[in-house]
Amino acid sequence: MADRRRINGPPGGTRPPVFASLQESSTDIANRAQRQRQPTELRKIFLKAGLIPTASGSSYLEFEPSASLAAARSNPKSLIPPSSALKLACTVHGPKPLPRSAAFSPNLVLTTHVKYAPFAARKRKGHIRDASERDLGVHLETALRGAIIAERWPKSGLDITLTIIEAEDDRWWGDAPDSHDASWGMMNVLAGCITAASAAIADAHIDCLDLVSGGVAALVSDDSSQSASSAPRLMLDIDPAEHRSILSACVVAYMPARDEITELWLKGDSSRAALDRNDGRTGHEALIDGAVDAARGANTVLAEAVRESIARSFA
Amino acid sequence: MAITILPPVVEDARPYEPDSDDSMSMDSEEDVEMTGISRPHKRPRLGNSNIGAGIVTPGEVVTDDPQWMRGHGTYTNPLSTSIIATVAGTVQKTNKLLSVHPLRARYTPEIGDLVVGRIVEVQSRRWKVDVAAPLLAQLPLSAINLPGGILRRRTSADELQIRTFFSEGDLVVAEVQSVHQDGSASLHTRSLKYGKLRNGVFLAVTGTGGSAASSSSVKGGVGAGNSASGSALAAPGGSGTGGVVRSRRQVWTVPTANGGGEVNIILGVNGYIFISKNPEGADAASSATENVSITRMEEMVSSSIYSSQNDDIPPQTRREIARLTQCIRVLVQNGVRVDEETVMGAYNASLQVDLEIGDDEDEEDEWRQEGREYLEGAKAQDILELVKQQL
Amino acid sequence: MSSQRQASSASQVPHLSPAELSYLYTSLSLPKNPIRPDGRSPTQFRPLSAETTILPGTNGSARIGFADGTQAIVGVKAEVEKTVLAADTLDSRSLAQHGDALNREGEEGSAAVSGQGEWVQMSIEIPGFRDDDALPVFLSEMMRESLVGSVAGGDVDGAKEMAGGLKGRLVINKRWHWRLYIDVLLLSQPLAYPLPLLSLTTHLALLSTKLPKLKSTGEEDPFFDDDWAAAEYLYPRSNTSDPSLSAAPSYPVRPPVTLLVIAVGENVIFDPNREEIAVADAVLAISVTRSSDSETLKLLSIRSIDPPSRLTQPGIPNSENVNMIGATAAPGEESGGQEEVEGVWRPRRGGVKRGVIARMVKTVLGKGGVGEEVLEGLEGVEVQ
Repeated sequence: MADRRRINGPPGGTRPPVFASLQESSTDIANRAQRQRQPTELRKIFLKAGLIPTASGSSYLEFEPSASLAAARSNPKSLIPPSSALKLACTVHGPKPLPRSAAFSPNLVLTTHVKYAPFAARKRKGHIRDASERDLGVHLETALRGAIIAERWPKSGLDITLTIIEAEDDRWWGDAPDSHDASWGMMNVLAGCITAASAAIADAHIDCLDLVSGGVAALVSDDSSQSASSAPRLMLDIDPAEHRSILSACVVAYMPARDEITELWLKGDSSRAALDRNDGRTGHEALIDGAVDAARGANTVLAEAVRESIARSFA
Repeated sequence: MAITILPPVVEDARPYEPDSDDSMSMDSEEDVEMTGISRPHKRPRLGNSNIGAGIVTPGEVVTDDPQWMRGHGTYTNPLSTSIIATVAGTVQKTNKLLSVHPLRARYTPEIGDLVVGRIVEVQSRRWKVDVAAPLLAQLPLSAINLPGGILRRRTSADELQIRTFFSEGDLVVAEVQSVHQDGSASLHTRSLKYGKLRNGVFLAVTGTGGSAASSSSVKGGVGAGNSASGSALAAPGGSGTGGVVRSRRQVWTVPTANGGGEVNIILGVNGYIFISKNPEGADAASSATENVSITRMEEMVSSSIYSSQNDDIPPQTRREIARLTQCIRVLVQNGVRVDEETVMGAYNASLQVDLEIGDDEDEEDEWRQEGREYLEGAKAQDILELVKQQL
Repeated sequence: MSSQRQASSASQVPHLSPAELSYLYTSLSLPKNPIRPDGRSPTQFRPLSAETTILPGTNGSARIGFADGTQAIVGVKAEVEKTVLAADTLDSRSLAQHGDALNREGEEGSAAVSGQGEWVQMSIEIPGFRDDDALPVFLSEMMRESLVGSVAGGDVDGAKEMAGGLKGRLVINKRWHWRLYIDVLLLSQPLAYPLPLLSLTTHLALLSTKLPKLKSTGEEDPFFDDDWAAAEYLYPRSNTSDPSLSAAPSYPVRPPVTLLVIAVGENVIFDPNREEIAVADAVLAISVTRSSDSETLKLLSIRSIDPPSRLTQPGIPNSENVNMIGATAAPGEESGGQEEVEGVWRPRRGGVKRGVIARMVKTVLGKGGVGEEVLEGLEGVEVQ
């Protein structure tokens, strides 16, 4: 939806210049980010709850920059960073009374708002939420509503606002937009949103069944290797910029204490996953399990962050 | 097969053919066969004689004769004496009062109607109830039986815990106590027949024809209007004239087949229907159908009239309740009026159809048997045929 | 209608009393043999009537109606558009070629051009909802995602045109492409979650979509055969030139179908109506398609949908009901109220077990499963 109330800059017009020398040297391959982590190794997460004093609960989450990004920052070869790392802030307002006009609700009414900062992605986002941001909001709401014990707070509302300060890329910047087109970065963003929102809700002291955390797994085929039989491999916590082709990805919101999934979003062709021969699972089951493992990893950070924020309030 | 996809059916588009005994024939000298070319804008009526149950459309002059008074569904032009219809429907006359009775209207409450309604709003001393009427009905706190074993006045404590009686979404069966100037109804549940509904399923019927028939002769709304003109059953795929009609009994108990036990059916005059398991205990059942004297009431109130906990309902009963629900759906979708007679006819017919099919397909595999309880589609026609035969 | 729009959730919460919810839930969760309110079997769909090519002004269209009167119409329109290189990409190779192209017009590039997902635009119009409400946005993203994401298996005969999936099919040449507008119109307020209806209608509309035959070749500016009879189907059909065999055209590639599946207790139920979805423990939208290179169905996407049961009103057990004096001695005390009491409705809490998800997906994908039957049923629809 076009933003008619403001004078916007040219759509997608902001891009650093690329110099011809770079073109000629065809450092294409060399500049390409490569995954340095093990397939099951997650990026480090920085998560801190209770940073915004005016909100009843808040949190800030940051993913560790990938190795190539860190290298590029210390020793810049190009003006374009090879990848980006997720940074987002979450605020929770409430529980507060519903507006007078609202109908009676025996449960806590949850409202989620996901917004990219205009500068969050390589392409500038408008000020009004677009379809993908609304879509993310719905996903997040589904994930959280399963965890919150809503009937403890009748007739009240809870506003959860996520601001994405730096988003994940959908692909390596140098790749044409068609190579793997789907918005894989959005899935990472959603996983981050879930984890951060969960911390903020806990920080706001709202009753929850369990801390719900997000995790992403993907089937990746890096055809850089010459072997033709490169079946796609399962990787946890992917950085889309590090991969040539992502076949399918899955994000879950997971509650470890109950072993339950409150939100599942899987897309892409998962039928050709390379699994162990004696592995009876199908591709999508493996993918979901992988995402659950990633969510478990994030949950340890989440629990620690919540504990830390409580300890701070005691001190 | 999990899915059935049918080619589109051309709706019955044959031109209107008046029945031989149709009252349209009264103005036969210029009756237009609904060719769609022109509608008689002004249809000269035979002065004082025969303003019968012909069908008029909005804007059509019903009569020029000044001796008639205008009633519902009409208006008069101040400059002339003609009475002009404002709704499409049949003309009705009561003495010298002319009114046009819409063929299909929403429910307009009348005093004494038994209705099923859903609570949509809780206010400080009353509930707002959806009864499929244009306006929400109200149920004052003073019009319900308060618990406590004795008949007593409402207290402020009752007002504070008003949601413990009825809350949003709850279903109630009630009676229309009074109708206000604006057409909204005031309900009461001061009888043991009435109160919160549970142990069953709710069904909202479309095409409810409980229109405002002020004269007692046409009580029964559209269904009765139809039968007056000689055809109780509209053609399948008809214009949705089916629906609940006012009848002798709106509440009855069905002894169901297949070990389903007894099932209560409540046909709200407003088209809302509730089908539930008959509560255990014959005395409760009998007292629910009879009028309990006001003196005995206090003993009865303590029972579970405000409970929202279901009894234990065996699967057989659930199956038969589902069957009854579908029978009513089949009736309504085919434009048949819904009352005790037709519902029971359809129910028995569905049992019979099942029996026949069961004979045919004895050797079928297990999975073919799945979904055989689904009555819409081909089975609906069989059921309908059988119902028609019985009527 | 405020009751329908309560909360911004993608799923609507119908007003049902706790007693009704409890009755429905127990009926639907009966082990092995759930009793649905309309007597259907768990995998049975409501019968529907379908027709295609109903709108002469479109490239393809379809209509599907349920017996209860809910209908959906889908019109597909295609427009030719100039391909612009997206501003945020910088494939150096294509950049170099772009520069060359200025000098040497019409040089055949060796790199195959593949399409972009944003060339497919989908909009869903549901009466009673604004077009930026959560439900239409969520639905259109869900359906577009599987549509764009479906990529054909590859080297099967006839599937070549669809090599890049729907996206690839939209490429005319390097500088031009088709833009596809899929507009879905629901004719009445939805009586149930409208996903299956919309998805099936879109499927049929895409099958009936034709694009004019291209007469130009290579990198020329495209011009087309103005004979509509010569137009080609968007989803190509196997060459059944023999008219006697063309009764049921077979498609190497078919558009995806999104099915709505709910889990209630141990049961997996398809095509739920409004009441059934209100008591579901889990709601999944599962998109599948079939390509000719494999016999089995291919999973394209799964999305969980917020089950409306989480927002429902809890029932009060008789033991805690203050109006039932005599049943228990001490009413009103908040004695936990967490444990399940038979016959009392509790809003669903928590999520889904992985086993349940696996079972739901399996029912769709399995051999002779529901997904196959639905696709077969859709094949039976005559597409002109």
